[in-house]
Amino acid sequence: MKKLLPYWLVAPYVVHMLVFVAFPVVFSVVLTFHRWNIISPMEFIGPDNYVRLFKDRLFWQALFNTFRFLLVHIPLQIGIALGLAELLNRTLRGASFFRAAFFLPVIVSGVVVTILWQQLLSFNSGMLNRLIAGIGLPRVAWLDDPAVAMYSIAIMATWKNVGLYVILFLVGLQTVPPQYYEAADLEGATSWQKFRYITLPMINPTIFTVVVLSTIGGFSLFIEPYIMTEGGPLNSTLSAVMYIYQQAFQYYHMGYSATLGFFFALLILAVVAIQKRYVEQEI
Amino acid sequence: MSTFLRYFLLMLAAASFIYPFVWMLSASLSSESELGNLTLWPVGFTWANYVTVFSKIPLGRAFVNSVLVAVTTTGLVLISGAMTGYALARLQFRGRNLIFYVIIFTMTLPFQITLIPNYITMVKLGWVDTYFALIVPFMLNSLSILLFRQAFTGLPQALIDAARLDGCGELRIIFQILFPNILPTVLTITILTFMGLWNEALWPLIVIRDEPTMTMPQLVTLFSVGGRADGQLTVKIAAAVMLAIPIIVLYLFFQRHFIRSMASSGLKD
Amino acid sequence: MIKWLIGFIVLAVAGSCSQNEGNRPMVFWCSNNAGEIAFAKEFTERWQRTRTDKPLRFQPIPEGQSSEEIILASVVGKTTPDIYANMWQGSVEMYAKAHVLIPLDTLKGFMDFIRSRCDSSVIREITSADGHIYQVPWKVNPIMTLSNRHALNSLRGIRPPFSYTSFLEAGRQFKQDNNGDGYTDRWLGYTEVKAIWYQRLFNFYPLYLAASNGAPLIVNNRAAFNNRYAVEVFRFLQNLYKNDYFSRERLSATRDPFIDERIATQFSGPWQVSYLEKFKKPGFEYDFWPMPVPAALASGNNPIYTYGDPKNIVLFNTCRDPQAAWEFVRTLVDNQGDLRLMELTGQFPRRKQLDTDPYFTPYFSRNPRTQPFARQVRYIKGVDNCAVIVEVFDIISQEYEACVIYNRKTPEAAIRDAANAVNVLLENNE
Repeated sequence: MKKLLPYWLVAPYVVHMLVFVAFPVVFSVVLTFHRWNIISPMEFIGPDNYVRLFKDRLFWQALFNTFRFLLVHIPLQIGIALGLAELLNRTLRGASFFRAAFFLPVIVSGVVVTILWQQLLSFNSGMLNRLIAGIGLPRVAWLDDPAVAMYSIAIMATWKNVGLYVILFLVGLQTVPPQYYEAADLEGATSWQKFRYITLPMINPTIFTVVVLSTIGGFSLFIEPYIMTEGGPLNSTLSAVMYIYQQAFQYYHMGYSATLGFFFALLILAVVAIQKRYVEQEI
Repeated sequence: MSTFLRYFLLMLAAASFIYPFVWMLSASLSSESELGNLTLWPVGFTWANYVTVFSKIPLGRAFVNSVLVAVTTTGLVLISGAMTGYALARLQFRGRNLIFYVIIFTMTLPFQITLIPNYITMVKLGWVDTYFALIVPFMLNSLSILLFRQAFTGLPQALIDAARLDGCGELRIIFQILFPNILPTVLTITILTFMGLWNEALWPLIVIRDEPTMTMPQLVTLFSVGGRADGQLTVKIAAAVMLAIPIIVLYLFFQRHFIRSMASSGLKD
Repeated sequence: MIKWLIGFIVLAVAGSCSQNEGNRPMVFWCSNNAGEIAFAKEFTERWQRTRTDKPLRFQPIPEGQSSEEIILASVVGKTTPDIYANMWQGSVEMYAKAHVLIPLDTLKGFMDFIRSRCDSSVIREITSADGHIYQVPWKVNPIMTLSNRHALNSLRGIRPPFSYTSFLEAGRQFKQDNNGDGYTDRWLGYTEVKAIWYQRLFNFYPLYLAASNGAPLIVNNRAAFNNRYAVEVFRFLQNLYKNDYFSRERLSATRDPFIDERIATQFSGPWQVSYLEKFKKPGFEYDFWPMPVPAALASGNNPIYTYGDPKNIVLFNTCRDPQAAWEFVRTLVDNQGDLRLMELTGQFPRRKQLDTDPYFTPYFSRNPRTQPFARQVRYIKGVDNCAVIVEVFDIISQEYEACVIYNRKTPEAAIRDAANAVNVLLENNE
């Protein structure tokens, strides 16, 4: 009995893992070789789904959109988060208030944030365009211009998540020993030099964490375009997850959808692996 | 940089994070026809939007569902996570390292790959439109196991030995003797799990079709994209406010814990 | 803990399998709006009184995401009702192909009934590719042009029904920039700009049917819409957007623009009446007209076709007494059933000569608002019987967005590309 005890303790995990991780991984590989609309029997079609994937213009566009999103989202996120963290990284009255304020959007559901921003970004009556018109600039078609819509969503996502990264950077900044800055001051270093040659290298691990976390988060982009634009205009905000969802639950192409999911998952793993090597070398 | 400039920038940033929420609250209390004039305070003050929301969708029921699902699941995550974490941290057995690596692997696995098969599992088990579909897939998670494992590893062996001498079973050791010593970890896991579940919208959209079983995020999403708001904007916004309020209230009470929990989850990767 | 866990799982599985297959009554699912529930209740109770030998109960379809998804889930879980009233005609073929529907033409009395209710073109429309009939044509909501009476009267020389030319001229006159900031804030109309496939059922498709006198999209498993009608519809709509007569921004995410008088026309159906009556401002008046058509059709008294958004009745193969189920369905669609449908739900039965049949004339004279729709019911189409019709509309929708809304393609190229893509889809689906 005593010998078996550890196994009893881990049994729930193992069972759960087998059902919800191991089986799905295996099953999704099997599904990728089938055509299946859920209501009719599964039909083996060999590698057709993969062939179709490589020829599916819309899927590549969805991938491209997702990368476009990341391209704006990640630098913006790091820049703003690092800036705000720098501002906060002093003994400052009210620091906890600012921290709490920046963090507010992080805890609120993406559904709420999306409904809210849909109004703020409205072309005719949105607050943002009223502000812009107020200072005499032309309105921006935030969500209706195919060239702009994805970046609007990236801005919104940044607004939602940046508070978390402010905290992460704060933690990172506090690990930098103050003596380094003192020594630099003696050498007559400028603020920029201190930032570039002391702060940045010291918080490199935090930057990596932020890049990886926002990449993974960005790859799962779904609810924002789902509510705000439904992938439009001209499919410019169709994200990969949204396309997978549509294939499965709008057209019931279960096999094809699983293929997309499988391929996309491999891609994510590859991107994260590359990031890991690159970020660790640079800076 | 001068302190004044520093404060000015911080205030500007804080305003840009808080103002949209104030706007949202005011909009939900404004009358539809005057929304265009809204800047800060409600225009044409009215409660009618909330009355309409509650008459159109069973938001009360969805709130109960959300609480039920989030609380039950969080409880199960704590129990199962502690059991597995304890075994990995304090017990010697064959396969321990294997399990540890599987957990690490699972954490790197994108959810996109398991989404469709998991939906099919739900269908085959007949769990579509039941609470099981919302609870069971989430009742264990790798991050909580790792956090527990780490917390248990840090405790002195003497604590466990003493309890064993007193004749405690392992489950009692975990939940009665050790738990009080790792409360910060327990709180972190509770907050992370609860928040994640409360805000989850994609999975419920997939497995729940039956309105009385829907959780709040799903119901509000469908209300917002569907036609039942009769195109009335302030009503949609009121629904969004109802979804936001519970978590914001919790946040106001446990602000520091929220921030610390989220930060620790970020740093664990 | 482990025992508890196992118990939990056993309980869950047991709970899901406890469908008791005894001598259960037939189950009839109806739509879940108040009017249709009242309708279902009335006819179920009458059946229960007169046919005690064939027990039957009704249930509104569970509220949820969309009725299509709920039906799909019930098919997957084999928990379909015996009778379902409210299936979109476009979904029937997919279920028929999956062999979950009962071919109604094999039932006694069905063919005689259908020939007396519908004319030959409707029967053609509802006949499956395999030659069987899986649906009873039931109710329709014709899509028409809704207009604000005062706004229209303020225009010079524009009298409905609309041709493309007069509609565009109305747009030119009505479009306005109220506050002089360089942006239009009053448009002739709005129709949903989202690319989601079913939105084309409310703009492109009714206009196509109107222009072509009800031509099909698909014939013999090939795209049949690469014609001048479709091209002209695209060009017409493209002009509306190019000149800013229709709003390109999603007004559906803002306050209702029609009630707000920021637009003067909409393509919409009878369901709009009760909505407008509820939310309109005092003195607000509106009318329904046929869809705009090319000039050649607008002159003279030609009938103008449109899309009818047909919802039909089907029997699922989980039904163990199809003949009895059919006999019940028949009570829903006889004269009395159709009259009660209109009285209780404000929707229209799909039967021939609805507007002239003396049985129904008293109803129409009591409800003058419904008359334009009653006349229109003669000239409506559903959708073609095609198992992948959703994807066909999705392809058209993609081209629609690129051409009509964003002017990235000529109408000719857009329609040609859509037709080619549909042909590829249909070939692969054989």
